[in-house]
Amino acid sequence: MTRQPVFDFKKLEEQAKEILSRYEEKRAATLPLLWLAQEQIGHLTPEAEQWVADKVGKSIAQVREVVSFYTLYHTKPVGKYHVQVCVSLPCLLKGSDRVIAQMKERYGISPGQTSRDGQVTLSTVECLCACESAPCAQINRQYVGCLTDKNIFEMVIQQTSTGRGGNLNLPEPPLHIAADGPVLSLRFKNSQGTWFDSYAADGGYQAAKKVLTSMKPQEVIDLVLKSNLRGLGGAGFPTGRKWSFIPKDSPKPKFLVVNADEGEPGTFKDRYILERDPHALIEGMIIAAYAIGSHKSYVYIRGEYDRPIERFSKAVEEAYAKKWLGKNIQGSGFDLDVVVHRGAGAYICGEETALLSSLEGGKGFPKLKPPFPAIEGLFKCPTIVNNVETLSCVPPIIKNGPEWFAKLGSAKQGGTRLYSVSGHVNRPGLYEASAAVSLKELIEGQQFAQGVRAGKKLKAVIPGGISAKILKAEEINVAMDFDSLMAAGTMAGSAGVIVMDETTCIVEALRSASHFFADESCGQCSPCREGTGWILKIMNRVRENQGRKVDLDNLLSIAGNMEGKTICVFADAAAWPVQSYISKFREEFEYHIREGRCDLASHGLVGSNR
Amino acid sequence: MPTLTIDGKQVTVEPGTTVIQAAEKLGIFVPRYCYHPGLTIAGNCRICLVEVEKAPKLQIACNTPCADGMVVHTQSSKVNQGRASVLEFLLINHPLDCPVCDQSGECDLQNFYMQYGLYDARFQEQKQKKPKAVPLGPTVMLDAERCVLCSRCTRFTDEITRTGELGIFNRGDKAEVGLYPGKTLDNKYSGNVVDICPVGALTDRDFRFKARVWYLSSAPSICTGCSQGCNIDVHYVIDRPHLAEGARIMRLKPRYNPDVNKWWMCDEGRYGYKFVDENRIRQVSHRGQAVSWEDAYSSLAASLARFKSDGRLNEIGILPSAQQTNEELFLVRKLFKEGLGIKNCDIQVPSPAGTSDGFLIKPDKNPNTMGAALIGFPGASKPLKSTNGSSASGHIFDKALSGEIRALWVFGHDLVKLFGEEKVKALAASLELFVFQGSNDNGTARYAHWVLPSAVFAENDGTFVNVSGWVQRIKPCFAPLADSLPDAQVLLELARRIGISLSFKSAEEVFNALAAEMPAFGGLTYERIGLQGARVHQKEPAAR
Repeated sequence: MTRQPVFDFKKLEEQAKEILSRYEEKRAATLPLLWLAQEQIGHLTPEAEQWVADKVGKSIAQVREVVSFYTLYHTKPVGKYHVQVCVSLPCLLKGSDRVIAQMKERYGISPGQTSRDGQVTLSTVECLCACESAPCAQINRQYVGCLTDKNIFEMVIQQTSTGRGGNLNLPEPPLHIAADGPVLSLRFKNSQGTWFDSYAADGGYQAAKKVLTSMKPQEVIDLVLKSNLRGLGGAGFPTGRKWSFIPKDSPKPKFLVVNADEGEPGTFKDRYILERDPHALIEGMIIAAYAIGSHKSYVYIRGEYDRPIERFSKAVEEAYAKKWLGKNIQGSGFDLDVVVHRGAGAYICGEETALLSSLEGGKGFPKLKPPFPAIEGLFKCPTIVNNVETLSCVPPIIKNGPEWFAKLGSAKQGGTRLYSVSGHVNRPGLYEASAAVSLKELIEGQQFAQGVRAGKKLKAVIPGGISAKILKAEEINVAMDFDSLMAAGTMAGSAGVIVMDETTCIVEALRSASHFFADESCGQCSPCREGTGWILKIMNRVRENQGRKVDLDNLLSIAGNMEGKTICVFADAAAWPVQSYISKFREEFEYHIREGRCDLASHGLVGSNR
Repeated sequence: MPTLTIDGKQVTVEPGTTVIQAAEKLGIFVPRYCYHPGLTIAGNCRICLVEVEKAPKLQIACNTPCADGMVVHTQSSKVNQGRASVLEFLLINHPLDCPVCDQSGECDLQNFYMQYGLYDARFQEQKQKKPKAVPLGPTVMLDAERCVLCSRCTRFTDEITRTGELGIFNRGDKAEVGLYPGKTLDNKYSGNVVDICPVGALTDRDFRFKARVWYLSSAPSICTGCSQGCNIDVHYVIDRPHLAEGARIMRLKPRYNPDVNKWWMCDEGRYGYKFVDENRIRQVSHRGQAVSWEDAYSSLAASLARFKSDGRLNEIGILPSAQQTNEELFLVRKLFKEGLGIKNCDIQVPSPAGTSDGFLIKPDKNPNTMGAALIGFPGASKPLKSTNGSSASGHIFDKALSGEIRALWVFGHDLVKLFGEEKVKALAASLELFVFQGSNDNGTARYAHWVLPSAVFAENDGTFVNVSGWVQRIKPCFAPLADSLPDAQVLLELARRIGISLSFKSAEEVFNALAAEMPAFGGLTYERIGLQGARVHQKEPAAR
C-alpha cells in the first residue's frame, strides 16, 4: 500500500499570492488556484478545496459547485495515465468507439474505470477540437491523434517518462494545414514561426506600431467596420460595431477578453493560431484594446489545450520582454497587461457571458441579458469578448487596408476564414479560404479536403460545427459566409465542416450530437437541462432499436419547446440538430424504429456510455 | 417613469421596475419558481414567460425591464403554451410522489400544473435518480429528486445569511442541490429555505408529516421570541386532536413586512412556539389546590382591598412583564399604579442579554420592552444589574426579601431562575400574598400561593412595540387553553370587584384609551396598525 499523498499548501503560498495578484477580484482566482492545488497530488482533497475557499473568500460548498461543474477537476484519484477518448461526432465518424473497445480489451476497463493496478483510467470526453487527427484522445495533458493502431496506448505509455500532469513528450500530431494565407495561416507551416523573432522578421507588430503612434481609437474602430470583419467564434456579429458599444464616458476600467475556449465539435482553428502564430493574436489584442480603451486583457483558453496554453503564455512573456505588453508599450504611453486564464472543461464557457462567469471564478453559467457585456461584463465593467481568429485578422487589416480585407470575402463579410474540415474526407485539415468559398469546393477541392474518402458517396455535411443544421449531399453548393448559409437554413457558425459519407448512420450521428448537448448543458435553465437529457434518453433508445412510433414527433416537439426559451442559445443549438436530422432523414429514422435495426456500417459499435 | 400596458391595463412604474413587479402592482400574478423579491434575479426556471409585443420570442417577466409603451400579455395562448412546455420539462424527472410529499397542497408544481399544464405525460424514460430524505441539519430535509433547481435556497445562503452551505453541484440533468459532504445546514435562519422552496425538495423536519397543509388554519401574528417582533402567520389546527398529540400550533411562517423582517424569521423564533401547547398551567390554584376563578377573584380582591384599607399599599410589589401586551400593561398601570396607588410596580428583574446578530435576532428576548417603557414601566429598558437582597437597592424583589414588601404579584417571570430557588422558597414562606400569573409552569409557579393561568400570544388580542418603535398587532387564533384567560380579562374583573372603574369590552377599547392618554401612541388605532404595523411617535432611546 502506498501512502495517500497529503496536500501540502505551504509550498503553494507564494504561487497562490502571485495568482491572486493577477485579478481585480479574488474570487476570479478560483480556477487557477484549483489547478495549482490539483497539480500537487493529482486530485482535489477536501483540504485543498478548503484552502482555495479561504483564499478566494468562498464557502467550501461554493468551491465544490465549481469543482463539480468542470470535467477537468477531480475529487478522487485518477490513474497515472488518464486516457480521455473523444466521443464527439467527428471522432465517432472515424472510429472512436473502436478505440474504447480496444481499451476494454487491453486493460479490462470501461469509461469511468481505472485499471486494477491504478495505472490507467479511461474516460470519454466531448470534442477535444483535434478533429483533423480523429479519432483522438488526451492522455494526461497530451493530445494523441489518428488512433488507428491497435496498440497505440501501450506505445504511448511506454514512451512516457514524466509523471502525472506534465507533458508526455510525445511527437506533435502531423500537420493538417494545406493552405498558406493570405491572412491567418501564412505562418502556420513555419515550425519556428511561433516565436517573437520570427514574427518580427515577418513584419510583425508593425500594425500595432502604426495604430499606437498614428491612429485615434475611433479611427481603428471605423477601419475595422469598413473591413467587414465579423465575429469568427460563430455568431458573425460585425466586430467594429461590437467595439463601438463600449461606453466612452464610463469611469470604470474596460476589459478585452479573448475567447480561446474553442469547443464546438468539428472546430480546431484557434488551436493552430495559439500554437503557431500567437504573436498575431497578441498584436490583434493590442490594437483592439487600444480601440476600446482597455488596459487589461484576459485570454480564456480551454483547459484541455495544454500546449496552446504553454506556447501562448511563452509568447506573452516574449511580448512583455520586448515591451509589446506592459506599461508604456514601445514608448507610446499605452499600457496593456495580459493574463492567460485556463478553463477547466466546459463547452458552455465558449458562450461569452458563461466565459465571463467562469473567469469570475464561478460555474460557467451564461448571464441574463440585459445588461450586455459591453455595458456590464467582467467584474461589472464594460467588456468586449472577441474570438482568437477574429482578433488575429486585425493586424493584416491594419497593414493591408480594410478594402483589401473586405474584397477577400463576400459583400457583407470580409476576409478569409480558417475552415476546419473533418470526417469522411480524404484530407481532413485546416484550410484558409475566402469567407465566400463554397462548401462543395472545400470538400472536393484539391487544395482543400480532396473529396469524400475513396469509393464512397457523400451523405450529409454539417457546415458550422455540431450546432449547425445538417445539409444533405445535394445542398452543398452554397457559399460559406454567414449570410449565405443562413439563407440555406443553417449557419456558418465556427466553420467546422463535418463530412459524413454514405456509411454513416444518421440515427447514430444524432445520438452522438444529443450526447454532446446533454453532457455540456450547464443545467441552469429548465428547458435546456431537462430537454437535452430527455432527447438523449429517447435517442439512446431509438439507437438501441427500442424506438417507438411517437418518438420522432415527440423529439421534434421537445426540440421546438426548447427553442427560444432559455438564457443563452445553447438550447436552440441542441434543438437544431434534432430538427434538421429528423426532417431531412426522416425515412432513415422511421426505418430504424420500424425494423428495429440499422443496415449501415457505422452502426452497432460501442457507443454510448451514458 | 415608463408607462406600459399589461393585459390591457395601464401602469406607470419607477424606472428599473421589471415586468413581474409591474404586473404585481396591477394585481396580475405571474407564476414563478426562481424569482423571489428578496433574492437576486436568477432567470433560470423560465415559467414566468410573457409575451411582449414586438419582441421576437417570449420574455421572462422577472428580468425584463419595463419600457415606455411596452405592451405585455401574460395570458395569451402563446404564453400559456410556453408555460405548459416549461412545466413539462420541470416535471419529467420529478417523482410522482405527491401523496407522500409534505409540500402537497402548497406546491407550485401542483398549482401551476393545474393552471398551465394539464397535458398528457409523454415522458417514457427512466427518471434521474438523486438523493432522497437527506437531513441537511436540525431543521431541513432534502429530497433532491423533487428539486427544480431554481436556486432560491442557494441564493438565500449566499446572499442573506452569507453562510454558503448550500450549493448546486454537477451540471446538466445531473445537477443537484446539496451540502458539501459532511457539512450541515445549521445557521440561525435555516428554516427560511423551506419557506422559499417552491416545491417539496426542502421540507421542515419539525413540521414534516404532522398535518396536511389543507387542514391548517392561518392567522397573522407577531413572533414573541425577541424585541424584533418579526411578522408571522400562525398555522394551527383545532379540530383534529389526533394530529401532533393534540397540539394546536403546527408551525410558524414569516409574514412579509418590509420594515421589520422582510420575508424572513430566525429559527429560534420559528421553532420557539412549543410553549403554546406544552407545559401550560391549566387551572387556577391556591397553595397547590385547584380552585375556581371566582374563588381567586373574590379572595384576591379582598386581599388587595385589605392592604389598601390598612394603609399598607407600600407593602405590595407588582412585577409586570415585557412579555405582556401594551393593553395588559396599560391595565396593570390603571389598576395597580393609578387605581390602587401602588408605587412598587415596575419590571424590575434582571434581563440578561441573549444571542443576537446584526440582522433579525435581538438580545432582548421580550417582544414589548419598548411598549412597557412607553406605558410607564421604565424598568423594562433599564434591566437590573444585580440584587443584593438589601432593600437599600430600592428594587421590588430586594424589598420583598427584606420584608419591606409583604405581597408580591408576578406576571410570568420565573423568579427561581432569576434569583435562585433558596430565595424564592424563603420568600414564599414569609410573604402574606404571593401571586404568580403566567402561562407556563415554572419554579415560581410551584412556590407562589396563587397561580393564575394566562393566555399565550396565540390566544390573546393586543399589541407590542418592537425595538424600532413599530406597534404591531397580535390576534387570537384559538381560545385560551383550559382555564387560562388573557391577563386583561383578569385585571378588568379584579378592578370591577375592587371598585375601580375600568369599563373596556375589548383589547381595542383598551388600546383606544391608551392611545388617548399616552402621547407616543396618539392617533393610533387598530385599523391604522393593520397588518403591517404603525410607528410610535417618539423613539425611546434606551430600548435594546
